[in-house]
Amino acid sequence: MNYDIMLTGVGGEGVLTTQVVLARAAHYQGYMVEGVQLHGLAQRGGHIPAFVRLHSFNQTVSPAVMQANADLVLAFEPLESVRAAYYARKDKTVFVINDDPLKPVYGNILDIPYPSMDEIKKRISGFAKDIHIVRASEIAKQKLGKKIYGNILMLGYAKAKGLLPISEKNIIKAVKETVRYDVDKNLKAFRIGLEMGR
Amino acid sequence: MDILKKSGEKVVLLGNEAIARGALEAGVGVFAAYPGTPSSEVPMTIARVAKKRRMVFEYASNEKVAFETAAGAALSGVRAMTAMKHFGLNVAADSISPIAYYGPKAGLVVLVADDPNGWSSAQSEQDTRYYARMFRMPMLEPSDPQEALDFTRFAFDLSEEFNIPVLIRTTTKVSHVIETVKLGKLKKPRTKGSFVRDYEHYYNIRPGLQKLHREVDRKLERIEKKYGQKLNKVYNRNSNSKIGIIASGVSYQYAAELSSLLGLKVPIAEINMTFPLSRKFIANFIKGKKAVLVLEELEPIVEEFVKQVAKEVNPRLEVHGKDMLPRYGEYTLELLLPVFEKIFRKSYGLDLKAHKRKYEKAVEGLPPRKPVMCYGCPHRSTFYAVKKVFGNTKNVVYPGDIGCYVLGIFEPFKMQDLVVSMGASVGIAHGITRVSGQEVVVFVGDSTFFHAAMPAIANLRFHDGKSPLVVVLDNHVTAMTGHQPHPGSGFTATSDPTKAIDIAEVAKALGAEVRVANSFNQKQLEQALRELREVKGPRVLVSRGECRLFWRRNMIRKGLSWPVFEVDQNKCQKCGVCTDEFSCPAITKDTSGALPVFRIDPNLCWGCSVCAQVCPYGAIRVKKEG
Ligand SMILES: Cc1ncc(C[n+]2csc(CCOP(=O)(O)OP(=O)(O)O)c2C)c(N)n1
Ligand code: SF4
Repeated sequence: MNYDIMLTGVGGEGVLTTQVVLARAAHYQGYMVEGVQLHGLAQRGGHIPAFVRLHSFNQTVSPAVMQANADLVLAFEPLESVRAAYYARKDKTVFVINDDPLKPVYGNILDIPYPSMDEIKKRISGFAKDIHIVRASEIAKQKLGKKIYGNILMLGYAKAKGLLPISEKNIIKAVKETVRYDVDKNLKAFRIGLEMGR
Repeated sequence: MDILKKSGEKVVLLGNEAIARGALEAGVGVFAAYPGTPSSEVPMTIARVAKKRRMVFEYASNEKVAFETAAGAALSGVRAMTAMKHFGLNVAADSISPIAYYGPKAGLVVLVADDPNGWSSAQSEQDTRYYARMFRMPMLEPSDPQEALDFTRFAFDLSEEFNIPVLIRTTTKVSHVIETVKLGKLKKPRTKGSFVRDYEHYYNIRPGLQKLHREVDRKLERIEKKYGQKLNKVYNRNSNSKIGIIASGVSYQYAAELSSLLGLKVPIAEINMTFPLSRKFIANFIKGKKAVLVLEELEPIVEEFVKQVAKEVNPRLEVHGKDMLPRYGEYTLELLLPVFEKIFRKSYGLDLKAHKRKYEKAVEGLPPRKPVMCYGCPHRSTFYAVKKVFGNTKNVVYPGDIGCYVLGIFEPFKMQDLVVSMGASVGIAHGITRVSGQEVVVFVGDSTFFHAAMPAIANLRFHDGKSPLVVVLDNHVTAMTGHQPHPGSGFTATSDPTKAIDIAEVAKALGAEVRVANSFNQKQLEQALRELREVKGPRVLVSRGECRLFWRRNMIRKGLSWPVFEVDQNKCQKCGVCTDEFSCPAITKDTSGALPVFRIDPNLCWGCSVCAQVCPYGAIRVKKEG
């Protein structure tokens, strides 16, 4: 089987760490894993697409998901979920979106308004089988003190919704192996996400 | 750490980590590099384990010095390696070329990472495969992390077997790919050797030069003969399709995936050694075929070779490649799919063109998200001060350079008028002042200063007269590629303290009038700039302020916090200087009401205080607790 995940968000928000967690978890689950990180800059603020592709060992798959072919889009920022629609299509793709808008400075300077959540939903509706909006950053901040735990919370949510063909045990193991600081809080975030998705 | 796990284990590695592992499995004793993405994680990975492995690891001041360090070790009998991005090879080229003739005593491997599509580079989309031909060095090209590991380990053996340095070339979509990888055995590094004087061999003055040249060409012939068939692979060899695919690098992965997507059983030749290309391998593959599709990003190097061989063994062969695909950018599945559909007369059944049109409509009018300098970045503050003093009219030119400050190319500054190569800003500025009466202000990072700007600054004094103003943005590290240390940092790659070289002292010694200012102090910056504006000869402003991202990481590591700032809504006059002219991303402008409201997100403020200095109404202050 093939399962193609696209992760997207803003540089510096932990997208790449989350990608590695997912990749490791899938690996423990027995998949062959392939994925790519497309970044180059240490700074924040740029949009960061990353992929994780799960497949069996006798297949060769390339690093990036093909246009219109993602099974799941995990968007850590709403505006970027719209740009991820390139990889999505109506009969296939489920979106899980963290409701935590990060307004790009160029919007300020060029006077382009940031779209409302309703407008975002409308824009991606033609590319989505289903859209989940999760208040991941907000709840992480509330319950655990920092927004960043919202990333792993999103994984919990997606898992509970049946969107990750990986066991809870393997995701937890991958979090422990990958996250460098505050492992406990990340594990808590994962559990909160699971609860929210149930 | 996965990178040090046992032989036989399967782990998920980044392509660049796999390369590092390959070098460790080869028992590399000396690794020296100058960072450059997409190659940066190779040295970063080695740096993390170097002490544990008891090997030598160094960040050099530039790629040429890094290569020379590795070469010196290899000439003394110790396995050595360097890694760089494509432009790094331009810098190191001058030394690589003669060493290729010499041949090392122990394995010497050079990794070079190209970046088609410019994911992490501006400047150009150069195809470094040409260098292998010019240097007379074999070049291996992995298509994924597993091959990256295996080829790196093998490259050391190949280098020793033929006494020749070996190039490994990746692209972003190999270096930055994560994949399940099977590990081999780690080898204990040998780090001691000695140089043996050998005038007979190292004699590269005519006629010794011609002898060395002839020898290196013979080595390449022998390599082609021995490994040309072995290293390159054919998949679906028994297919009776009259059309085949020849692919190298990540293009092989695309070819394999698209074939299975379309249910094709076509033979695919994977070219893993792109220099020397094997005539026999290609001849065998194209014999009896009607057509081949050659897949390689950038220049048609393999394709031209296939055409040549076809002339001899199969003149009627149709060779496709760059007639259907671009020489610029990267290949992707969606770019290649229509080509496959056309050549193999199959349909995938998805109208990707229509999908793309629909997508373009969906994203129309959204605010762009370009990379920005971090919250509290010292460069932003320096740009702001320079713009205040010099303005941004046609009478002032801002040659740019390579580093985080390249982001000054965007709004609101637009003060990187051209970006050429590391250190080039100063030389180009000099050329402009030779012919133009415009004021010229140059921006150079501290790492860039040591890398390549020093000779150009010396050249200013040498040709005394009207000189550009050189602003050195001294943030203490090589920030853009991941905060690696440089000769001015005061610590080494393995976190040992070392004496930092003071850029202001160097600039003085190079003949410039020098001022030093704190990057986070607008008054100091302004004053220094105004003073230097009146100086006629070479002048350098060292704007000194630690990279805020690096600073913040250390603060967090130490468990420290910092004061954050807020807008006093009673004092704010809605002028918009903080968002529209200074543009720290922590400050937002809420335009939903009749009048805009400016706010600082306390989660995002990194406490640099410069916004409080630029606000004309004193409306920004330290936020009170609670
Ligand atoms: C020849 C060459 N080597 C390496 C690079 C990669 N590179 C891009 S930006 C950069 C950092 C420069 O550091 P510095 O000048 O200190 O600026 P900072 O990023 O710290 O602001 C490097 C090494 C390059 N573009 N060209
Ligand atoms: S990494 Fe450092 S130098 Fe680069 S933009 Fe961020 S604060 Fe500025």
